[in-house]
Amino acid sequence: MARLIRTEKEVEGRYTEQWVVVEEDALDQWPAGPLETVGRDTPRVDGYERARGEAIYTADVQFPGMLHTAVLRSPHARARVKRIDFERALAAPGVRAALGPASGESSGGDAEASGAGAYTPDSSASAPYSSHVLTDEPSFAGAAVAALAADTFAQAADAVRLIDVEWEVLEPLLDADEAVARESLLEEPRRYERGDLERGLGEADVVVEAEYRTQTLLHNALETHQSVCRWEGDTLEVYISTQYIWGVRSGVAKALELPQDKVRVVCNFMGGGFGAKNNAGDYTFIAAELARRTGRPVRCALTRREENMASGNRNATIQRLVAGARADGTLTALGGEFVNAVGWDGFSASTSGPMQLLYACDNVRTVDYGAQLNTSPNAAFRAPGFVEGTFGLECLLDELAAKLDLDPLELRKRNYSDSDLVDGRPFSSKRLLECYRRAEPHWARREEVRARSEAPWRRGVGLASQVWYGGGGPPSYAWVRVGSDGRATVITAMQDIGTGTRTAMAQIAAEELGLPLDRVEVALGDSARGPFASISAGSSTTPSMGPAVRAAAADAARQIVEIAAQRYHLEQRVLSLRGGHVVSADGGSWPLEEVTGLLGSGQILGKGARGPNPAGMRVLTFGIQVAEVAVDVETGEVRVERVAAIHDVGRIINPLGARSQVEGGIIQGIGHTLSEQRLLDPLSGSVLTQTLDAYKLPTIADVPELVTEFVDEPDTHLTNLGAKGLGEPPIIPTAAAIANAIRDATGADVRSLPVTREEMLRALREARERETVAARTS
Amino acid sequence: MLELHVNGGTYRSGAAVGRSLAETLREELGFTGTKIACNEGHCGACTVLLDGVPTLSCITLAHTVAGREVTTIEGLREHPLVDAFVRADALQCGFCTPGQIVSAAALVATNPSPSREEIRHAMSGNLCRCGTYPRIEEAIETWQG
Amino acid sequence: MRLVRPETPRDAVAALTNGAVALAGGTDLVPLLRDRIVEADALVHVADAVPRGVTSTSTSITRVGAGTTLGELEVDPQVPQALREACALSASPQLRAMGTLGGNLRQATRCWYWRLKFPCYLHGGERCHAKEGEHREHAIFGNERCASAHPSDLAAALLALGATVRTDRRELGVAELYRLPTDDERDVVGLERDELILELDVPAADASTYLKAMDRRKWAFPLVGVAAARVGPSVRVALAGVAPIPWLLDSPAALDDATPLPGTAYKVELARVLVRRALAATG
Repeated sequence: MARLIRTEKEVEGRYTEQWVVVEEDALDQWPAGPLETVGRDTPRVDGYERARGEAIYTADVQFPGMLHTAVLRSPHARARVKRIDFERALAAPGVRAALGPASGESSGGDAEASGAGAYTPDSSASAPYSSHVLTDEPSFAGAAVAALAADTFAQAADAVRLIDVEWEVLEPLLDADEAVARESLLEEPRRYERGDLERGLGEADVVVEAEYRTQTLLHNALETHQSVCRWEGDTLEVYISTQYIWGVRSGVAKALELPQDKVRVVCNFMGGGFGAKNNAGDYTFIAAELARRTGRPVRCALTRREENMASGNRNATIQRLVAGARADGTLTALGGEFVNAVGWDGFSASTSGPMQLLYACDNVRTVDYGAQLNTSPNAAFRAPGFVEGTFGLECLLDELAAKLDLDPLELRKRNYSDSDLVDGRPFSSKRLLECYRRAEPHWARREEVRARSEAPWRRGVGLASQVWYGGGGPPSYAWVRVGSDGRATVITAMQDIGTGTRTAMAQIAAEELGLPLDRVEVALGDSARGPFASISAGSSTTPSMGPAVRAAAADAARQIVEIAAQRYHLEQRVLSLRGGHVVSADGGSWPLEEVTGLLGSGQILGKGARGPNPAGMRVLTFGIQVAEVAVDVETGEVRVERVAAIHDVGRIINPLGARSQVEGGIIQGIGHTLSEQRLLDPLSGSVLTQTLDAYKLPTIADVPELVTEFVDEPDTHLTNLGAKGLGEPPIIPTAAAIANAIRDATGADVRSLPVTREEMLRALREARERETVAARTS
Repeated sequence: MLELHVNGGTYRSGAAVGRSLAETLREELGFTGTKIACNEGHCGACTVLLDGVPTLSCITLAHTVAGREVTTIEGLREHPLVDAFVRADALQCGFCTPGQIVSAAALVATNPSPSREEIRHAMSGNLCRCGTYPRIEEAIETWQG
Repeated sequence: MRLVRPETPRDAVAALTNGAVALAGGTDLVPLLRDRIVEADALVHVADAVPRGVTSTSTSITRVGAGTTLGELEVDPQVPQALREACALSASPQLRAMGTLGGNLRQATRCWYWRLKFPCYLHGGERCHAKEGEHREHAIFGNERCASAHPSDLAAALLALGATVRTDRRELGVAELYRLPTDDERDVVGLERDELILELDVPAADASTYLKAMDRRKWAFPLVGVAAARVGPSVRVALAGVAPIPWLLDSPAALDDATPLPGTAYKVELARVLVRRALAATG
């Protein structure tokens, strides 16, 4: 029976209370370990399509008569459009329509009515169009101001240069600390306290204090943000590179005041998101409006430069941290002031989360400030907040360990937390101690690694723990259709953003239906052709969708057994599905297609939903990474040589794909640690690193030896699947593990990311000076 | 009219002089396997072979390749590397993958058993944001089965 | 825009009339055209007009056609080691396969202000935005007016090796190819508008090397590149990424005369180490 519950919903560490209709999860947990298909290495079911260049991404969608859009983006971090004139742009070859900010919104008294509003070449005086995504008061460099549609992108881009704009340039606010001082905040400071920090510091034998800084990072999914919008009668079709088909649908329906079912959102293949593609985005609204005005399909695709100016980022942070411990390593106090340089809009991520969640410390006080700045809004980026917060916390722990003269792994074990101290809930499952145990052989390599130091290279080993969410939750629905040919199709309007969830869903359905994998298809990516499905963010796709798919497959299997029981005059309880057959306990076996073949063109339709999350429990993922580095102490070059990762994310559906997720997370983490940083012009607030020569992603040559292990024990409290999400955990501890390895190798404290040559040389110089002073005083 | 030789076929194109090979392949000739990700020669997603040499089609003007043989991923669909990439899970979102395979095909054509260092040298111009690099290395090391 | 494809240097030069620009590998020019930093109404594709390939004119001179790609140079055993290493450490494999020696020497700075069309000194403006702005990749020498850094690894190697450039109308040393931007002339390449680099003569060295510090292991422009070439007892050292033009270093002590910006002081430290290592490597 459908049950209406009020439940806490978590995405990316942000909780909201909402009503959800759930169906009780009546299935038994599968046994732990590899099954027939689940738990076994499985190449991607869509691997060939992608590898052979056959997969149609949003970037590849083409329609006859399709127009292309170019967007005029503010070159100024804070400005007013005093006057905007489209006349020359509209006269340019191929231009079909223009959109501008509404004139009414301009506070500049001399804004020319002729410039504002929307025009098409044949209706030069149509009513001004107020789009909520076009602004005449841009508050960050890259804010969308106007847009043009033309026959080709080159024509649109050429014509955008012809839009005449008179700007009033205003002073931007770019410094996060200054924003906090001036109370330019996106929300009230978020304060958390348990116990008494001062008392805890008083009880400490050793106290360490340090300031850590993390840089602004850019997602740079290789497929840029983009949409193609097409009106089919009164229905708007949106082809979009997105992590959340349903979020786009509701966002577009709301903004355009359309019934939800009049918006169809399609995303069959998408070229990466990493958190930045959770919403419809300005490009979708621009394309939809231009399509409406021109009656043609319209593509609006961000260029790489727009992507890096305006499509989101992992914001910079400043973290002022303190930790106190008794001589035996027991943490008595953890405190932190976290300044998130959020940008003009966005959200203040829980940078303090790891400090609150990771250790059994009774006295914890944190405050998060979300600084509102004249920089582009942040967007979720693979474990937002926790990547940054773990860098600070786990480096601080190592500085503490050094002061205590205690083994860093031992320090972490001593402060292991059995239950969640934030709200006193038990964990649904926690195997962090097992992760620590499995880390020991990697950690034990450090003597040998250090001994391989050979001037000018110094080598060392560091580790860091990981905590994050990843339990997913309802609502999420799936259908499973079994045809008379004995083949099954999983139908659900989810999306595979590249993590391999399509494959995982196929495996789960195959397992439950006792079918070989090659007899299971997955149809996803279309809001008009499947039920509501989870967002692909917050490490929630597999734990949300997996149980729904399993339930749908079980529902189909139940129906097949019922039919077989009647056809072969057996009791249902002696029948099961295995190896593409219906088998009976007494040895009878009938090919599945023999049973389903009875239906002719009819089909069996199974229906499944994600059950509720376990009441009163805290669902988290855990892990540890051990990094080995070499540092050239003369040139400041840092080479990561090996990273071992052990993660506890419940049951592993596809070990092959799971290893790929971990490797990818670590590699992104290496980029975050060593080479990536968005740089702004400190005067104008313009993004300087818009291109991929300037914004340096890791290449294949930067990859160390990677070792991946999973605890792989189902979380039996969570769902019938016992699987948690894995997208985010692996990127969380990488930077801290590397920084701690650098300290182990060189004695230098790197507290600011990225560890560029200048930062490494600075830290080495500081360490040398410290040694000199120490030598002099002794 | 410009005449282009692509994957063994001959095509006529009305591309303007400033038009890139990548745009021409994708929008005019329908070879959408070639991806454009940065459109300024920095990422390698648009890599095609020009007389066997890996070339960035997004910064190559279509008019400069008249008379030369262009090979895109569509011309390499039966290459054993495709199998090796899928087997090794050398792709996640897959947007960079056609470019990766094209670069890898050029490498193994002249050096069927490249060392790890040789793979890294030859593949460093193909960025993968998902971080499939270790798997790509494995795919190229094992492509001969 | 028109595209012509002359077959001889003479025809190429003749085609390089006002508004025409020479196109070789296109790796730098095509993006600059798209950004309208370079404007052209005709492209002169010089692939057939410029010599390509490596020949040894004597035991002591290697002659390299300006149309030779970096990819060809990096594997050619006739090419002195510093130049081979500079090629191998340059750019990405595809860019090396496309980019030519001649084009490489004429590439523009990677200065983000210049590339993003800030109205900076190098674009003819009044001031250098990098000096007060973000400049970690910028110059430590010759940066009084403009702090841009010259990105060519090859130019530094050729400077250290003492290579000579032959154009369609003259011969000149690699050093003479470049000049710091001045109030009167902002272009750092001292060639006439229709002048075409045809060949380079690269003298052999007893030992030579190119070392490069960059932000990632491969595919990055130099933070600091150091080329050293020894002929008998005399060693020449040249640097990439440290000045608006490739920079000849008279002696290691000349690094004391560097004028780093606040954000480029580390480059002096890097250069000291790499110069020492390069000198040690060339014995």
